[in-house]
Amino acid sequence: MEISIVASSSIEGEIGSWDLKTGKALLKFKPCASPAHGLTAVGDKFLAASQLRKDRNASDSSGSGSNSGSIFFWSWNKPQVEVRSFLLEPILALAANSEGTYIVGGSGGKPGYIYLWEVATGKLLKKWHGHYRSVTCLVFSGDDSLLVSGSEDGSIKVWSLIRLFDDLQSQQGNAPPEHYFTEHTMSVTDIVMDYGGCNALIVSASEDRTCKVWSLAKGKLLRSIVFPSAINALALDPCGSVFYAGGRDSKIYIGAMNATSDHCTKVLGSISEESKAITCLAYCAEGNHLISGSEDGKICVWDPKTRHPVRTFDHGKGPVSNIQVVRKTIVTNLNKTLSSWKRNGASLPPFLEKSKKSDEDIMDGIVTVEPPPFSDVPVYARYLSANLINEQVRELQQQGSAATEIEMERLKLEYKKSLQMNDQWEKNYENLLKVVMEEQNGASN
Amino acid sequence: MFTSPMASFERFDDMCDPKLEPKKLRNLLSEYVPNEKQPVTNFLSLSEVVSTIATHKLLSESPMASTEQKLQTKSKSAVDDWVDRLLTLISSDMPDKCWVGICLMGVTCQECSSDRFFTSYSVWFNSLLSHIKNPESSRIVRVASCTSISDLLTRLSRFSNTKKDAVSHAAKVILPIIKLLDEDPSEALWESIVHLLTTVVILFPAAFHSNYDKVEAAIASKIFSAKTSSNMLKKFAHFLALLPKANKGDEGSWSLMMQKLLISINVHLNNFFQGLEEETKGKKALQRLTPPGKDSPLPLGGQNGGLDDASWNSEQLIVTRVSALMFCCSTMLTSSSRSKVNIPVGSLLSLVERVLAVNGSLPRAVSPFMTGIQQELVCAELPTLHSSALELLLATIKSIRSQLLPYAASVVRLVSSYFRKCSLPELKIKLYSITTTLLKSMGVGMAMQLAQEVVNNASVDLGTTTVEGFDAVSSKTPLLTKGVVLQAGSKKRKHSTKSGAEAENSAFEVGLPHNHSNSPISLKLAALEALETLLNIGGALGSDSWRERVDTLVMTTATNACVGRWASAATYGCLPNVSCTDQVEIQLAALRAFLASLVSPSRVRPKFLAEGLELFRTGKFQAEMKVAGFCAHALMTLEVVIHPRALPLDGLPSLGERFPESTSLASQKHNNLNGIAHSGDGLYNRWLSNADPPSINEIQRSLDTTLPLQETKRLKLGNDLATSVEDHTDMVASENVQEAHVSEKDPESTEETQGHGSEKDNMVPKEGEDLAVKDSLMEEAAIGKKRDSLGESDDDSVPSLQADDFLSSDSDIES
Repeated sequence: MEISIVASSSIEGEIGSWDLKTGKALLKFKPCASPAHGLTAVGDKFLAASQLRKDRNASDSSGSGSNSGSIFFWSWNKPQVEVRSFLLEPILALAANSEGTYIVGGSGGKPGYIYLWEVATGKLLKKWHGHYRSVTCLVFSGDDSLLVSGSEDGSIKVWSLIRLFDDLQSQQGNAPPEHYFTEHTMSVTDIVMDYGGCNALIVSASEDRTCKVWSLAKGKLLRSIVFPSAINALALDPCGSVFYAGGRDSKIYIGAMNATSDHCTKVLGSISEESKAITCLAYCAEGNHLISGSEDGKICVWDPKTRHPVRTFDHGKGPVSNIQVVRKTIVTNLNKTLSSWKRNGASLPPFLEKSKKSDEDIMDGIVTVEPPPFSDVPVYARYLSANLINEQVRELQQQGSAATEIEMERLKLEYKKSLQMNDQWEKNYENLLKVVMEEQNGASN
Repeated sequence: MFTSPMASFERFDDMCDPKLEPKKLRNLLSEYVPNEKQPVTNFLSLSEVVSTIATHKLLSESPMASTEQKLQTKSKSAVDDWVDRLLTLISSDMPDKCWVGICLMGVTCQECSSDRFFTSYSVWFNSLLSHIKNPESSRIVRVASCTSISDLLTRLSRFSNTKKDAVSHAAKVILPIIKLLDEDPSEALWESIVHLLTTVVILFPAAFHSNYDKVEAAIASKIFSAKTSSNMLKKFAHFLALLPKANKGDEGSWSLMMQKLLISINVHLNNFFQGLEEETKGKKALQRLTPPGKDSPLPLGGQNGGLDDASWNSEQLIVTRVSALMFCCSTMLTSSSRSKVNIPVGSLLSLVERVLAVNGSLPRAVSPFMTGIQQELVCAELPTLHSSALELLLATIKSIRSQLLPYAASVVRLVSSYFRKCSLPELKIKLYSITTTLLKSMGVGMAMQLAQEVVNNASVDLGTTTVEGFDAVSSKTPLLTKGVVLQAGSKKRKHSTKSGAEAENSAFEVGLPHNHSNSPISLKLAALEALETLLNIGGALGSDSWRERVDTLVMTTATNACVGRWASAATYGCLPNVSCTDQVEIQLAALRAFLASLVSPSRVRPKFLAEGLELFRTGKFQAEMKVAGFCAHALMTLEVVIHPRALPLDGLPSLGERFPESTSLASQKHNNLNGIAHSGDGLYNRWLSNADPPSINEIQRSLDTTLPLQETKRLKLGNDLATSVEDHTDMVASENVQEAHVSEKDPESTEETQGHGSEKDNMVPKEGEDLAVKDSLMEEAAIGKKRDSLGESDDDSVPSLQADDFLSSDSDIES
């Protein structure tokens, strides 16, 4: 298992990647300028990032006509862009489910649409009206069955993907979200969800200087925690009902999800004295590291226990917009990887469809399934000779078994019949002999 | 024991002495293995020989021996003799001797050393193959040859340096055994041939090469033959499912096979369903499989692929065939494919839907072409067909995992509509296992959709009779609804185990194998498993609706399964039959579901916690180790529920960088609450020291309602004490607390817009204050940093009082 961190910035630049253990810089993927939450690893197949256009501000005002967006894809072993997908409107948030079979994107337009593409074919399976304004972040639930979306208009919605695909319901209009939270007053900047399954807690951060904790099961606000500054990013401590919040004031705060005080009161640390905003956070469960990215392009790995930075990476001048922890399995035998890669064939990134085709086209009923990981293990057949001997011997032993007994009975019956037949013939012969003898006697007489 | 006169003077270290091995082998050879002169007398000793060889590794010529030259030569010569004897036996004219030789050769292939195998496998292979090719050889010899060759190839596949040679050897086998398959009608031979073919297709798929179509045709003709038994049908179908691996192993051949199978199934169904469904359905299904503009593939098994007309009349035959073909599809879906495959989910699902839609009734729209007898025949075969279709659905769900998403809603609809129609226990069990798989693979979203259906059906299947298979008893037990009735019921059952007549009666029921009462037991097992999975995955979702019902149901079931039955399990333990394990299984399933209902997240304290603890405590002392083990596990799990833990977070925030106002706040709150708990896990200690421990309910309620009020008071108190800088922050704090309090207390009654308005209003004037606060915070942070750098920060290993209190005082209840 290789654990690396991947980071992108919001100005034209590259996606840097580093090995978290050794700190070694790995491949740089370019060119890329992606907004916050616009970078995602698609399974362990490839890397996808939505792109910010330079002329975005200009086109924003002119309406959606000329306004187009794009998503770039990279394979893990190539620095150049593998596929550029151009879309009708700019995409801000991007997320993939853990198996890497679907990608969802949230549009940056006025009605914030959410798109769902199938990775294998690039088909646009669903496009639905998500929020009134642009969608800023998208998060899959732990089992990939729910999608949580946050928007610039401060609303958060929880969608059941299964229900979205329910044709009967969609005939009656858009499927409604499972939950609709409107308590944030300003743009939602980040959302995280803990390991609670159906009882999970959702934490959201917003520019309104609060982080709010929601219950998935109850579908309501549990508590709201006020911070001294607007919060840009969140990361969750997986085991301790604690979350980290990266503030615009360069501080990383620690929030307790079940705190009684409605104030955040602790600071993990700050990256720089010059108060550059923290722009993104990520938590790596292996080794328990918190990783922060800041506006001045610094990436810092923290040990949350000692609250000291362990390592820093420099990611150029632009603000770091995304950090992702990526886990890849390393196959030691390179030839094997290559051959299995070739055999698996088109693991190439898809060209995403711009618009949705008619329902019949989408549901052509063919699903491409990748082999499950580690299916390349050699197969072993079983040896059977010993079993065969035992079986045959057992059959020989079971002399009184039903089959042989039935056979015996049948043979006995047949034997009896043959005996009778024999008698019959004998009798006939004797009779015949008698007749012949009598005739002979008669003739001789 | 060792009769060889030479050896009688030798001494051995102990029973593990390697010097013993060649002696043992020679002994076996002279005593038990026939030679060319003696006839085979004692077949029974052969299994003895095989097991002795396997246990003592007599053929391994162990490398351990290499230290002693003498020993090595001894053991080598012994194995040499062994192999020579086998080869002479194999070439013998007598079929029984030949059979012994071939079988033992198979064992030798498995057991001998790599060097020996590698140098002589070719010779062995040819001598075995000659028996398959020889038309004179008897059937028993052929069966043994196929099995031994299969073992030989299996061993050969583990040598990586002979891939080419191995493939060419394997290829030599294909044609002769396909010929045998056609000529010989013996099932035993078919079985060993299929085994050999399977071995080849798994290990050396390239060996089929040019014979692919021939093999497919031969197997298909067997599947379509009326003479094949159902057992063999399954084996042939299994092999057919693996066959696409042999054809270059690419996704194209997989898809082609799947397409052929689906077409064949649908063609059969068109015939079978005549008059029972609209004819357009079948046409549509076929159209979908062969889209216009594309050539339809050859039918399964080649041009005249087995659709012989004679069989069209037998309903039973059609259904057996279709079931075999569906089984083949299922195997193709689930057997792990090493390349990616295109699964025609749409066709598969519509096929399942098509089959499940036909229930034997005549649709009104269709003019009744069907005679009564025909309908009767069809109806008799439908359950089998439905069962196969459900299997196919299960395989489809398993194989496409997360990508079921676009189809999930229609699958849910299919499953829930069939739940309503289905009455046969066997089909219902399948349906439950499909539900369980859906829940496991799709998670919370699926639980939202399926919960109601699972709960409704499980309460029917678990509710009407008691859990045990004792029909004689359970039929007399009234329907259990409430606790009172339950007690009466359990008393009655206790009584029944004592009373001689009834006990005898139930023992009689148990003693019957394949009694009809067995199927409800497995149905109950399936229902319990589905409930457990639902509770695991979506327990928190049902708080408003089905949860209470499920908790009661599961509690009743577990109590019924266990109380008064602990003893009976032991009593009947002496009867060597299935029902005893049934008893244990149903207890385990019930206990597992009960534990899930106690632990699964809920808004209220588990209602039956006391009952559960008592039940598990009793269960822990049971003689049945599986049950006892699970009960111990359950008690450990429940320990967390009765002693809610809030362990200090390992080294996380401590005093170091805390703002003064929060410090005062925390300590005050601490004093207010109880003022004990100076170390360790605060909540736990506090809880222990409390005279009247609050229930979880109370804690939660207090968390929801009372605390914020207290807190505001405390905050005001804090204001008095606080310095001027902190004053600002606390003002803000208390205001915000009140806001949050309002919105949290009754979010339904407070209009959202109002809340927003007030918050926004507050936002603007606060701006100035906030800035000041910010400054103070910055200052504080800086101080904290300095302290840190001076090395004065708190010792993290001993969590400080306030930190614990802050993080855990009311914690872990909500989450």
